[in-house]
Amino acid sequence: MLRTGGNSQHHGIHHPWPVLVFSIGGRRLAAKTLAVTEVARWSKSIPVSGQTPFVTAVVRLDHVVLPVFDLAASLQCAVQGSHPLCLRVKHPLGEMVMYIDEAIPVLHSVDDSMIQPYQGTDLPAEGSYIDGLDEIPILSVSKLGMGS
Amino acid sequence: MSALAKQEGSGRSISTSPQHFLIITICGRYLALDAEPIQGVLTNEEASPFQDLVVQGTVYGVIDLALRLNLPSEGLVEGARLVLLKNESSRKSVRVDQVHGILKVQKSQVLPFPAQFRGPERRWYLGMIPFNHSVALILNIAWILEDQIQTPTSSSERYGMESVVAAQGAAESKNQRC
Repeated sequence: MLRTGGNSQHHGIHHPWPVLVFSIGGRRLAAKTLAVTEVARWSKSIPVSGQTPFVTAVVRLDHVVLPVFDLAASLQCAVQGSHPLCLRVKHPLGEMVMYIDEAIPVLHSVDDSMIQPYQGTDLPAEGSYIDGLDEIPILSVSKLGMGS
Repeated sequence: MSALAKQEGSGRSISTSPQHFLIITICGRYLALDAEPIQGVLTNEEASPFQDLVVQGTVYGVIDLALRLNLPSEGLVEGARLVLLKNESSRKSVRVDQVHGILKVQKSQVLPFPAQFRGPERRWYLGMIPFNHSVALILNIAWILEDQIQTPTSSSERYGMESVVAAQGAAESKNQRC
């Protein structure tokens, strides 16, 4: 369930960053492909009462049950589309999933010379890059939900 | 008293694999209670909603578990039950919306509660059991039975105190939310 993007730039001495670009609330974000396990159709989440910010549900995927990190809520937006997707990612505390827009994620290879510090404070990022008029933050998946 | 009730003083089941859990529903959520501390299950008709229970001469204070779990209370639903719990130091009862029965599971089927949940809920739940295309969260009975004044995460938890007045207050609070 992926497309390859046409933004690759290989100049020999630079190292490409393979990233997966996806959308939440129409906003494009990226994650390193090594941090992504799977993209699948969203299955119904099971709410879990608690007080952890943005972790309020789990999903059952075959024989595993994974926590849901509500990235849309943390970004104060709403996931778009009637058939949203499930982004399964690796995390230091164990795999988890995020609910993303139905727009099919795209694989990009970003040259490391294009990576710049992300100036925003709304999400943990390893950096960002410019694509057209947009700054695409590269999500630091391992830091999600690990705030102080 | 339902057929699930145990006789006072009867021996406890030996805690070996497989484990037995009572699967219940509160506010539409599947929850699981270790069967060992369960002393019985009462119907609405067998228990007054606003009084502590006296079963075989023993008082079981009523706990509003929905409030303690920060769940939206649905009031007194048809088919609700009271589950009697006991440990070494305490006897309490919890009102549940539905009892689905005893589930026997191997320990390997019990899933850990995800570490991403980092709040006080880590004390509320001990793990998870896949159940009926969903998941039943295993409640920590020690947490349920502990003195609620020691867990002031919510002032509303005080409704669970063992008095008729507190129980009535909780019921009124429920009605206001509904």
